[in-house]
Amino acid sequence: MKGFGHPTLILLFLLFFALLPYLPLGIWRAFLLDVGFFVLLFTALALSWDLVARTGQLSLAHGAFFGLGAYGAGLLAPQVGTLPALCLGALAAGAGALVLGWVTLRLHGLYFAMASLAFSEVLRTLALKLPFTGGPIGLPVLPPFGGNWPLAAYYLGFSVLLLATALSLWAERSPFRLAQAATRQSEAVARVLGVQVVRVKLWSLFLGSVVAGLAGGVYGMKTLFLSPYDAFSLARAVEALVIPIFGGLYTTLGPLLGGVALVSLEQALRLWIQEGYLVVYGAILILVILFLPRGLVGVLGRHRG
Amino acid sequence: MELLLQTLLNGLLMSGIYALVATGLALSLGVVGIVNFAHGEFLMMGAFLSYLLFAFRGVDPLLSLGLAFLAAFLVGGLAYQGLIRPVLKAPELNQMLLTFGLAILLQNLALLLFGADTRVVAPPYQATTLSLGPFFLGAVPLGAFLLSLAILLLLQVFLTRSRLGLAMRAVAQNRLAPGLLGIEAERVYLLAFGLAAALAGVAGVMLSVMLYASPTVGFTFTLKSFAIVALAGLGNLKGVVPASFVLALAEALVSTYLPGGGGLVEAVFFLVLFLALVGRAWREA
Repeated sequence: MKGFGHPTLILLFLLFFALLPYLPLGIWRAFLLDVGFFVLLFTALALSWDLVARTGQLSLAHGAFFGLGAYGAGLLAPQVGTLPALCLGALAAGAGALVLGWVTLRLHGLYFAMASLAFSEVLRTLALKLPFTGGPIGLPVLPPFGGNWPLAAYYLGFSVLLLATALSLWAERSPFRLAQAATRQSEAVARVLGVQVVRVKLWSLFLGSVVAGLAGGVYGMKTLFLSPYDAFSLARAVEALVIPIFGGLYTTLGPLLGGVALVSLEQALRLWIQEGYLVVYGAILILVILFLPRGLVGVLGRHRG
Repeated sequence: MELLLQTLLNGLLMSGIYALVATGLALSLGVVGIVNFAHGEFLMMGAFLSYLLFAFRGVDPLLSLGLAFLAAFLVGGLAYQGLIRPVLKAPELNQMLLTFGLAILLQNLALLLFGADTRVVAPPYQATTLSLGPFFLGAVPLGAFLLSLAILLLLQVFLTRSRLGLAMRAVAQNRLAPGLLGIEAERVYLLAFGLAAALAGVAGVMLSVMLYASPTVGFTFTLKSFAIVALAGLGNLKGVVPASFVLALAEALVSTYLPGGGGLVEAVFFLVLFLALVGRAWREA
């Protein structure tokens, strides 16, 4: 039963978002395309978080990877052009992840969780203090490809989601999945079975952070403006982890479903409450962990089974 | 030389509160085995309780200390019964996510209720300073330091002399054997978690006078406490006090001697954490 129907759903999902700009949306077009863009981007971020979670590691640094990518791409885009800047920003995020992982991943999991949280708090402090980031005033960012194509940001976001989905599906179907699952369930057993635990964790973290960095880069090119409070905010990390948990951990479909539901909800809620909308995410996180540990996908699976 | 000594003195006085909060975190980690990301939020609640009592009833923070202890103990106990107990046997990732969710919930609830402003509790003695030769000691930091030490000493007596305290240490050492000896582990967990929260709540009251109450103040303390616990070593309660001293001292030195150090103080805990982890990784590798 497991796996049946999921590829079709994923394909439909991608097809819908690929064609969204060409659907007859009427006067709602601009608004819906904006919501759609954020759904794409944060779903990609969520998938990249799930990739790390599959090894049993709780990353609270996805806000930092997102921010590194956003600032890296935003600062470099005027010199090297859109696509190279995005790649370099993503590599900056990956480099940060390697440093963080090198120190913490051979230790007990809670060290990684706490250090990743501290890592993102410190990067925000640095972004506020360093001379070239614009500090608390913020950093203006150029639109992609000189702003000649209005849908550029949307399709860049779509490409990031495509990449994230492909990576996630690859990790789900290849032997890498077994290595990840073994690492998650018992590191000692995995090690005995010949899994190179630290290497699996480091690779997962690196891939996850690169995708998160790409998402950050595209985010800056859409909003055209970055501030440390926005790009490095804890809210990014919270979104990145609540979406997969709500949708269903360790799956590809889960984050896609969770992303559509939660990001739409968030865009609607933002019209009502400015600060403190994260209350909703905190509550969802607690309730899902207590009552629905397998998320939406688990509920769907139960009905079909 | 005088500047250096004054800096050391400031660091020493701050280390009391750090030790109080970090001891709470070490208790919930060592006895219950839970990584509690919401630990600092108990401190935040204590700080706001002190602020509300002072602003609306004129209650002196010294009185609020006892109230905050009881209130935080109660909230911690409820949190344990309602949220922690159901996930005690769940994977660690789920436990961490749950307490992280609780932290996010409480922090943003405070943001909705009180706004992002910082609020100070200013009793008449707040600005009193004592001069000791060429040095100056704030009466409040000094009082907070001595009070923290007294509470930690009481805790030490409780853990080494009372039956309940001994039960707590037994459960921290071994999950199974205490049960065979007739110790109800679940009740000990409840007590330990409540006590951990209460320590943070009391520290919150002190902080509301020394610094301020704000929705995000707890989160910084969660992180700093973890840096301290990582430096002391997991489950090592005795190491918490010297580790707190190291962190407080490093922060005081940075804020005095580094140009523009005011903003970078918030990054010092990360350096301490990073170095502690590098050392640990080297030893375990």
